[in-house]
Amino acid sequence: MRKKVISILTMFALSFSIFATGQQGESDPVPAFDPEKEYSLSFGGYGDLERAYKTIFESAEFKKALPNITFEYQMADFGGHHDRLTTVLAAGEATNDIEALEIGFIAKFVEGGGLTNLAAAPFNGIEEGKDIVPFAMSNATTAEGRLVAYPVDIAPAVLFYRKSLADAAGVSLDNLKSWDEYIEAGKKLTIDKDGDGVIDQFAMPHASEVAMMPLNGGKGGWFDEDNNPLQPKQKFMDSLDLVKKIREAGIDGDLGAWSGPWIQAFADGTVASIVNGAWWGGALKAWVASDLAGDWRVAPLPGGLYASQGGTYLSIPQQVPLENKAAAWEVIKYLTTTSHAQLSTFEQIDAYPALTTVYDDDIMNEDVPYFGGQKIRQLYADVANNIPSAKVSEYDAVVLAIFNNAVTDVLVNGSSSEDAYNKALNEIRAIVD
Amino acid sequence: MLNRSQKWAPYLFLSPFFILFLVFGVFPIGYSITISLFKWTVSGPQEFRGIGNYVKLLTTDPFFVGSLWTTFLLLIFGSLLQHFFAIPLAILLNNKSLKGGDSFRLLYFLPYITSSVVIALIFSQMFDHNYGWLNYIIENVFGGEKVKWLQDPRAIRSSIAIMVNWRFIGWNTIIYMAGLQSIDQSLYEAAEIDGASGLRKHLHITVPLLLPIIFFAVSLSIIGGMQLFEEPFVLMRGYEQMGGPNNAGLTSAYYLLATGFSFNRFGKASAIAWILFVIILGMTWINKMVTDKLQK
Repeated sequence: MRKKVISILTMFALSFSIFATGQQGESDPVPAFDPEKEYSLSFGGYGDLERAYKTIFESAEFKKALPNITFEYQMADFGGHHDRLTTVLAAGEATNDIEALEIGFIAKFVEGGGLTNLAAAPFNGIEEGKDIVPFAMSNATTAEGRLVAYPVDIAPAVLFYRKSLADAAGVSLDNLKSWDEYIEAGKKLTIDKDGDGVIDQFAMPHASEVAMMPLNGGKGGWFDEDNNPLQPKQKFMDSLDLVKKIREAGIDGDLGAWSGPWIQAFADGTVASIVNGAWWGGALKAWVASDLAGDWRVAPLPGGLYASQGGTYLSIPQQVPLENKAAAWEVIKYLTTTSHAQLSTFEQIDAYPALTTVYDDDIMNEDVPYFGGQKIRQLYADVANNIPSAKVSEYDAVVLAIFNNAVTDVLVNGSSSEDAYNKALNEIRAIVD
Repeated sequence: MLNRSQKWAPYLFLSPFFILFLVFGVFPIGYSITISLFKWTVSGPQEFRGIGNYVKLLTTDPFFVGSLWTTFLLLIFGSLLQHFFAIPLAILLNNKSLKGGDSFRLLYFLPYITSSVVIALIFSQMFDHNYGWLNYIIENVFGGEKVKWLQDPRAIRSSIAIMVNWRFIGWNTIIYMAGLQSIDQSLYEAAEIDGASGLRKHLHITVPLLLPIIFFAVSLSIIGGMQLFEEPFVLMRGYEQMGGPNNAGLTSAYYLLATGFSFNRFGKASAIAWILFVIILGMTWINKMVTDKLQK
């Protein structure tokens, strides 16, 4: 028996030492990138990223700039990719040399560790990224100034609406000064078209979709400088009040996001508008409402709010061999700071560039026929440049889940904003460790 | 007399399983005890907490105790309730005069082997409160009011329980059918001669002789029910919200997964796993006590 206990304890001790040696020091020097050497890198990502980046890596421009790098891909669906990354990082296992991250997952890794600090030499990511939109850089920066990932695309939040329905209701959604104005217009957009006593056209699909708009799209900003959650209180109360007001005005269809009826609603006229990230424009055009070319429009969020609603980052995990880090960084730099890569990604998969210098490019000034010839990309650029920088924390995922629950408390249980806020605040305080 | 190599041969042949079991079974399980004593994030152990994770979970944590309560409720109305359907169903299907018994068996078993993604799609459509056909029936056939299946805290638990029942009744029916095959037919014939009715026969022959199988199936249900994750996860939008309004859909296993893989607290998640383990062990033991007593 005693022998057994000892052998089990030895096993644990051994596993710990394996873990300890597996970690690479922050201070180990990364060798300089060698243009003469052949590098083979692996890339881990999700969704359309392989399609977009493969096109770039196979282009003449890329081959001229970095001819000595070849790629392998490990792609998965959105959830699967991030689950895998979490697991391998927690276990200290080998990862791909470059790992993509969606903005919602950035916070988790920002303080959690496991990713190489790109602000340090030889990367010097902050200087290299001076033309990248500032809010996106700050979302990937820890309280100690470590830059753990590099923004490659962003999603400025805007109001999408249908011109024909707005005209029929005699309202304009183009320059709304406040959410109250939106709600007033929304009441006119919410109608019973066939006169059967049931409302069949709503201003928006679901009231909860606006909850994150006063809160930077929910990306960071959950804790203030002194690490107090949900401060200043008014900002978070505004969010809950807004959701409540919209529900009480009866202008939302209570359609669950991504359900069949929700998707259908954009094509069949059940909803007249929605707040979403720039990528939604691509989805509308490609498959959600491809028959409605020329009818959808884009407007800034009411009340001069600026928020982001999605975005992709690229990172180099700590576990990556040192010389691959040097090559991986060259690739990340190419994807994020050259106009060729940024515009190519935009054309391929509608991912809006994080690099501000391309906002002046001709393609960004083009009329977009699907949106009735509107110059929507300039509008996106304006939002992108104005999104406030917010500090992210390792608790963002759990705080977001708790606050989402506060939103449903207000919507479903009829809680007052004050009660829902206090409940969320207490839960967050109890869970922070 | 066996020579040395003959003596070792069986162990050698058995070793592949045991080596794999040690590496992928025993070691991770044991290692999770170590993890549960730390604040453990994506980048490994941060600080030693001792039993701090356990104490916090059982005292100050705003979600864990509630999630246990949800789990128990769903265990009763989702996992255990189905045995009251499965046993009569098994008896009916076991009836030799039933035509097309095989196809019924297949139909009842089908939900168990259906992919959870497909189930999620079908059920979220069914439970949709605007356009779902469950509400359509309630409104148009019974003249009732629409139920917010996935929003109202009470309805959320019913929705999950309905889904669990639907999925596993067939599985339990098959287990009970296997048990019924082993009951000696002459017992029923003797009872018939004594003039026992159909119901009496089953109450006095089938149920007592089925007890070991009931113990087995209920144990599996307890283990499965305490680990209930998939159904609430797909219905309550994953990690986006803490199991919906009032955390009504947040089971302990759901909270465990969220704590580990979404909120990055692997130490706390391991502690949840061990608390669940102790509870499951205790409940299985009680189940054994009860069935043993009934068998006497």
